[in-house]
Amino acid sequence: MRTTRLTALLAVLLLAIGSFVVAGCGSSDDDTTAGGGGGGGGSEPLTVGSDIPYPPFEQGKPGNYTGFDVELLEAVGKSIGREVEFEDTSFDTIFLDLARGNFDVAASAATITDEREKTVDFTNPYYISEQAILVEEGGEIDSVEKLNGATVAVQQGTTGQEFVEEEGEAGELRKYPQGPDAVNALKNGTVEAVVIDIPVAENAENAGQGLEISAAIPTEEEYGFAVAQGDTELLEELNEGLKEVIDDGTYAQLYEKLFKHEPPKEIETATHEAS
Amino acid sequence: MEEFLKQFFDVGFMVDHFDEVLDGFWITIQLSVISGVLALIWGLILATLRQLPGKALMPVRFFTIAYIDVFRGVPLLLLILIIAGGIPALEFLPESLRLPEWFGKPDNFWFGVLAITITYGAYMAEVYRSGIESVPGGQMEAARSLGMSHGQAMRSVILPQAVRKVIAPLLNDFIALTKDTTLVSVIALNEVVLVGSDIQSETFNSSALTLGALLFLALTLPLARLVDKLISREQSRFTRGAPRVEAL
Repeated sequence: MRTTRLTALLAVLLLAIGSFVVAGCGSSDDDTTAGGGGGGGGSEPLTVGSDIPYPPFEQGKPGNYTGFDVELLEAVGKSIGREVEFEDTSFDTIFLDLARGNFDVAASAATITDEREKTVDFTNPYYISEQAILVEEGGEIDSVEKLNGATVAVQQGTTGQEFVEEEGEAGELRKYPQGPDAVNALKNGTVEAVVIDIPVAENAENAGQGLEISAAIPTEEEYGFAVAQGDTELLEELNEGLKEVIDDGTYAQLYEKLFKHEPPKEIETATHEAS
Repeated sequence: MEEFLKQFFDVGFMVDHFDEVLDGFWITIQLSVISGVLALIWGLILATLRQLPGKALMPVRFFTIAYIDVFRGVPLLLLILIIAGGIPALEFLPESLRLPEWFGKPDNFWFGVLAITITYGAYMAEVYRSGIESVPGGQMEAARSLGMSHGQAMRSVILPQAVRKVIAPLLNDFIALTKDTTLVSVIALNEVVLVGSDIQSETFNSSALTLGALLFLALTLPLARLVDKLISREQSRFTRGAPRVEAL
């Protein structure tokens, strides 16, 4: 009896240790292939929090992330000599997490707002955007007024949610943890419309899933990269890097590749004062 | 430390948002009660089906056992996502079943009820089974020898004794169920966790989540003490002077 109990205990211990080993071997570094450029001057890589997936801004598998935010920040990183490491995080706590130091930068198609400015600092804008109403093909909701009384989906914690809460009078507002969840709810008919960033909506429209943008909502939003409040050194570095990337044409190249048209001129001069 | 307290235990903040969080908690309670009652009933049905005697009814027993195994093995969160994503896509179902809006509650509420009932029914079936099997075999023999059919014996003799024995474990499962209702937040149901985390992402303060936790304690602590009392009362029926569970 004693030997069988002992063997049972040993088996459990081995299983526990074994699973730790497997977990350790299995996890690859979330290193993006940041231009391979010799890991510049031995300074530490920048950890970046991002809510992945949110195509076309960020998507892909760990170690292999792509998207506008990812590639732009990698280019900025290269120009300031820092490597960039993206990690997946949830959007609705991203600013809190940044303020607590979970990562150095937040790059997640995040709109610069006064509310958020109370907790974090934003770089100069790197993208100008607006919201869109996404519906199934032939759907009737094609204006903000038509949102009244309808079942609308948004992603939790986004400016899309804010917009519908303040301007629309949706019958029911469903807040999903991730952007693609809201789009899926539209696809299977649980909601009538989705209010979400226009580039994400365009991406969904082009995916051939029977969805279309019925209206654009000009909210004049600007996306910025965020750092913890008071991290002025990093903020200035990022702004410098961003300016360089815009000036030397890398920005325009990236923009055209992903969004299929030229970037707006305002980006070259758009600035943002950290409050 | 002060930052931590302000972030999570800001009492003024909790008071300001109390109504909102309470509304969310009310949805949690409704979800718990409805799913709980349905799961208790469904579990009893499953357990009875599992016990049906005779070669002819082997398929019934087999499928019941398979059902219980599958739904104790699949995580509830996965089931919620599959149901909420899958049922609306079943074209052949009428709209009222595909996107249920019964009694004014939205479809994700009912998908949550379905997922929780399916899963917890399986857990409770096993609890009922342990109760049934702990009733002395002599009871069934005596009942049958009095001329009762299997069904009559179960209904009048076995089940009343069995269910009485397992009220405490069933109540424990119910407490677990009330906490698992928070999983339905992933399909955007405005229960207490989603409301709390929504407030958190708008205001950057997490005290609404703590408030939600406190509301849960207000619900589960009395239930836990009730379980203790039931256990000790049940035990005192059978033990004379032997060590018992202390009821607080």
